[in-house]
Amino acid sequence: MSENVKQSWSATRLPAFSQWWARSKAPTYAPDGPYLAALPALITGLLILLTLSGLVLAVYYNPSHPFASLQFIAWNVANGWLVRGFHATGTTILFGTIYLFLFRGIATRAYKAPGELAWFATVALYALLLLTAWLGQTLTGGGAAYWSLKNAAQAAGLLGGAPGAVATWFFGGPAGHGTLARLVVFHIALALLAFALLWLYRAAAKPAAPIATGAKPVAFFPYYIAQYFAAFAILALIFSVFLFFAPHFGENPLDLVAGSDLVVPTTITPPWYLVPLAAMSGLFTSPAGAIWVVVAALAVLFALPWLDRSGPRTRHGGWYRFFAVLLALDILGLSLAGAAGPSLITAILTILFTFWYFLHFLVLTPLVTALEAE
Amino acid sequence: MAEMLEHAEQIAEELISETKRDFLKILTAMSGLVGLGALAWPLVSALGPDADSAAAGQMIVDVAGIPENSAIRVVWQGLPVYIRKLTKQQMADNQFVVPSALPDPADYTSRVKPGYESYVVVVGLNTGTPCELEGNAPSDPRGPFDGWLCPCDGSVYDPLGRVRGGPAPRNLAIPRFTFLNAAQIQFG
Amino acid sequence: MRRLFAAALALGFATAGAAQADDTLSPLHFQSQGVFGSYDKAALQRGFLVYETNCAACHALNALHYRDLEGLGLTPDEVAGIAASVKLADGSPATLDSRFKDPHAKATTFGGAEPPDLSNIVNARPGGLEYIYNYLTGYVPAPDGVTLLPGRNYNLAFPGNQTAMPAPLKGNDVTYADGTAATLPQEAQDVTAFLAWTADPNLDARREIGIRAVMFLVFLSIIAIANKRKTWRETV
Repeated sequence: MSENVKQSWSATRLPAFSQWWARSKAPTYAPDGPYLAALPALITGLLILLTLSGLVLAVYYNPSHPFASLQFIAWNVANGWLVRGFHATGTTILFGTIYLFLFRGIATRAYKAPGELAWFATVALYALLLLTAWLGQTLTGGGAAYWSLKNAAQAAGLLGGAPGAVATWFFGGPAGHGTLARLVVFHIALALLAFALLWLYRAAAKPAAPIATGAKPVAFFPYYIAQYFAAFAILALIFSVFLFFAPHFGENPLDLVAGSDLVVPTTITPPWYLVPLAAMSGLFTSPAGAIWVVVAALAVLFALPWLDRSGPRTRHGGWYRFFAVLLALDILGLSLAGAAGPSLITAILTILFTFWYFLHFLVLTPLVTALEAE
Repeated sequence: MAEMLEHAEQIAEELISETKRDFLKILTAMSGLVGLGALAWPLVSALGPDADSAAAGQMIVDVAGIPENSAIRVVWQGLPVYIRKLTKQQMADNQFVVPSALPDPADYTSRVKPGYESYVVVVGLNTGTPCELEGNAPSDPRGPFDGWLCPCDGSVYDPLGRVRGGPAPRNLAIPRFTFLNAAQIQFG
Repeated sequence: MRRLFAAALALGFATAGAAQADDTLSPLHFQSQGVFGSYDKAALQRGFLVYETNCAACHALNALHYRDLEGLGLTPDEVAGIAASVKLADGSPATLDSRFKDPHAKATTFGGAEPPDLSNIVNARPGGLEYIYNYLTGYVPAPDGVTLLPGRNYNLAFPGNQTAMPAPLKGNDVTYADGTAATLPQEAQDVTAFLAWTADPNLDARREIGIRAVMFLVFLSIIAIANKRKTWRETV
């Protein structure tokens, strides 16, 4: 009796909550979802951790003396080094989950109707987080970050026309004393925008999730809560191994010292999650070419719903899966070639891997999916 | 009879399986909460005072060298703080004053720390018109109670910092401090 | 000055128990290297003595405050004593909460080469710990056929071999309170270990917490998966 009274209290005053609770208990989910279905929730959790640790860091961060303020945090703020570790390792693990999520979307054809919007939200989230993370790296004021920002602001000044205007607007002119102060605000604003994209993903993904026919459907609570909890525990384990035993994973060693005008690096390798795209853009000497290839690389991802020529009732083909794995290996190869530094071999490999990337999307995907269509 | 037994067995089995699941669920949920707490703790503690601010807020002052019947002035958190050593006569005069007779009732033990009754630590700002008080050196004008005097509105205080006359409404504020030992106090 | 430091460190060692340095010089290995390594506090304290005696006149440690020396295993009283023996620029003695004294060494003294801050030097030089050790022990007379530029010294490890810094260590520059022989390689190894600590003071805490966190999370993952399996068994 009191249960009913309680429910009607919240049902009349905050109907969204009681509706959400009723939905969680309603059996509408397929009963054998895989662990990887928790990836969007894991991404959300990581973003929340990054936001909280970022806010704590922002309390002590000083854009006029970026590297020194981070050193101050490590030495003088209670558990400051650990909070900074949350933020840095959180970024690495976040991109690990995003790459896994993108790969899963491609391999399981999650972009097909009616999941196109969810796919667009995913790719947009990936691109947005790449930009946010790059801004975060420049904020550290390390050797590679300092020069990376300088080069980017310079390239922005050299771009012509509308892109140049937008880029100059973004950086506020050549890299100078005030640049980091504005980039902190952009970094935080873009991170909050990422939550909006996550919400869009969630709104768009729900109608796309199918119920397996012939199986008794189950409710989210408690069945998927238990699975999501286990997924979070495994994620936390992987996170801790990186945080405590490999805190500088994927970081450019030049970033361990303060950036200065006196020490100019010969090559600037971005953090590991940016290396594939940076390797592609490194093939072009002009800023315009570099930007266009990155835009094209993201555009083919957006265009997947149309590049896939299979019908609505195609069984997941073996050849398509094989090529998806090849694509993953191709991206891995791009990362290794990009990280190895400029040489004849890495240049040739980068050209090959970039060519294969576009070949996969523009030629292989339509061909294989059309051939495997019923 | 056999039916009842069977029924009882069924209920028992259900209960046992219920409790078994509950135990694992409770253990998992509690461990998860512990993990979340361990995650949240550094974030919360990092927002507290950093080492430089803590040092500024936890100033240590040597009090062994203060002569009787005089006070030193230190600055803590931007406030002037007076540390005075009382003479035995002053302590005797003020120990048994009936609190209700005072404009702002306060008894002796609330103004000093136990074991260190001869030291008075107060914020040296008048509680009426906020001016700095006079009366630290024995030669300063101290008012009729041999404590402190406000040069702005004429409020007078006793050596324990309690207001005794004049427009000031409250006793002098006492900052947060502890005696590390007989010779040092630490603020904050 | 040296006697004061030796006295302070002697106090530390008297309470902590004397620890002679073993010969860890061949092959060169620092206790903090490796996945589970930790700092050798005795070496850190010896290294700090070498820094204060031989390096502090020209090289700053701007990221540190004197209170941070408690991370070397010294007691607060010892650290207060070390701080009190340092005279800051305005003549007053340093306190626990002062930053390390910056010697403000001028680049003009060294032919245009400003002595760098050492807080992060092991990360700033390619080769890290090994490079710093080799640099400190690499001062040799210039070989025949090599003309030294004015104001330069020949060093085996420095890129280009001609460094503006005169040899800071000659052996027996300090007297270690724990009785370790203060040979040049020993001093170089100790001060390098100290500089490794200034670059990454949280290494010990990180690994200690890390082992406990990973063990807890392995346990949590196992019971979470078990709980999930049990919960799912109930459905079908």
